[in-house]
Amino acid sequence: MASTHTNHAVPASVEADLHAETATAAEHGSGGLPQFQFEHWAGQIGYLLILFVILYVLVSKVFAPRLRKVMDERADTISNAVATARQVQAEAAEQAALAQAEVAKARADARAMAAAAKAHVTEDANSRQAAEEAVVNARIAEAETAIGKTRDAAMANVATIASDAAAAMVERLTGKAATSAELATAKGAV
Amino acid sequence: MADPIHQFQIQKVIDLPDVTLPVLGTVDLAVTNSHIAMTAAFVVIVGFLAAVTSNAQVVPGRLQAAGEGLFGLIDNLADSIIGQEGRKYFPFVFTLFMLILGMNILGLFLTFTATSQLAITVTFALITFGLVLVVGFAKNGLGFFKLFWPMGAPLALRPVVGLIEFVSFLLRPVTLALRLFGNMLGGHVALKIFAGFVVSLGLLGLGGGIGLLAFPVAALSLGMVVALTALEFLVAFLQAFVFAVLACIYLNDVVNLDHAH
Repeated sequence: MASTHTNHAVPASVEADLHAETATAAEHGSGGLPQFQFEHWAGQIGYLLILFVILYVLVSKVFAPRLRKVMDERADTISNAVATARQVQAEAAEQAALAQAEVAKARADARAMAAAAKAHVTEDANSRQAAEEAVVNARIAEAETAIGKTRDAAMANVATIASDAAAAMVERLTGKAATSAELATAKGAV
Repeated sequence: MADPIHQFQIQKVIDLPDVTLPVLGTVDLAVTNSHIAMTAAFVVIVGFLAAVTSNAQVVPGRLQAAGEGLFGLIDNLADSIIGQEGRKYFPFVFTLFMLILGMNILGLFLTFTATSQLAITVTFALITFGLVLVVGFAKNGLGFFKLFWPMGAPLALRPVVGLIEFVSFLLRPVTLALRLFGNMLGGHVALKIFAGFVVSLGLLGLGGGIGLLAFPVAALSLGMVVALTALEFLVAFLQAFVFAVLACIYLNDVVNLDHAH
């Protein structure tokens, strides 16, 4: 037993100092790294292989599926949420477009109504204006006729007055009254 | 000063009788500090993964987010490197990654680092190499050897390049094992040496007189220990990650042999 373990320091070895001393001497006397003490290799390699296989089985059968499930679930949740958000957004956009169309329609209606009212009012005003103008025009025409008549009468009187005045002037100058025929001739000569 | 190599010494904690197996010869079944470190890492990993997954919520808590981070890291790695079949090899790569990461990190808290044992890193490398061989032959049969036949090279050069490819393929487990081993060994030796400086220079300083000059150097060493510890945490993660990446790349070589060549 002891001979196979010359290279380790055996802690709490009851096998006396002699053994411990040789062990230490062998350890440091070799000068190499402890990693190259090949008698320790088999135990470590075998144990590591066992641990590796156990961990591999645990990872592939338990841990990885569990985490994948959660991650897939998360991906689903996120994609669902994104899809819902997209849908809601599309709906909102649709509604916004509808509202906009409604507003545009209302605006057009209002504009049409305003235009109609304006037209109505304008027409009304125009017709009233036309009627009033007609009345005024009639009155003007009437007045003009009256004025024309007065003027004609006045013009007719002017001739009589002129011949009277001429007769009077002739009578004053010549001492005898001019005949109406002479007056007419004179009038024509002027 | 304490021997910086002593920390790698395998020590028996519980001695069990040797057994003699037919092929391997005499095998020492003793429970050593290495076994305890591996068991601790294993228990921590299983406990962590169980805690992460036992009550997994759609909206993750902190612990679950951390677990899912590691899970997603390796999952993305396997998916992006191996492709569609990556999921099939995910448990293997994840197991590899978690064990190495656990042992690396625990090595910074315990007095013994399992991954600084060549036996351990060789085992990890051989498991990976063995899986690559098994998958390679199972999927491609003898077409597996197309891996070494460079179709892109000129015909005359193909045997030469193929030979180089073959040798480099055989060296893969060696580089895998030595990279991890070397990183862990070097980091822990450096830590131990600088920590040893702190103590021995501190004792020198306590002597008084000109020895007082040792105090600033001891303080500098302490700063180095702190900085190196931070670096070692990074290395612990990085080496586990590198191992996982290389395992994926090597698996991809044989899984997608027809597509790549």
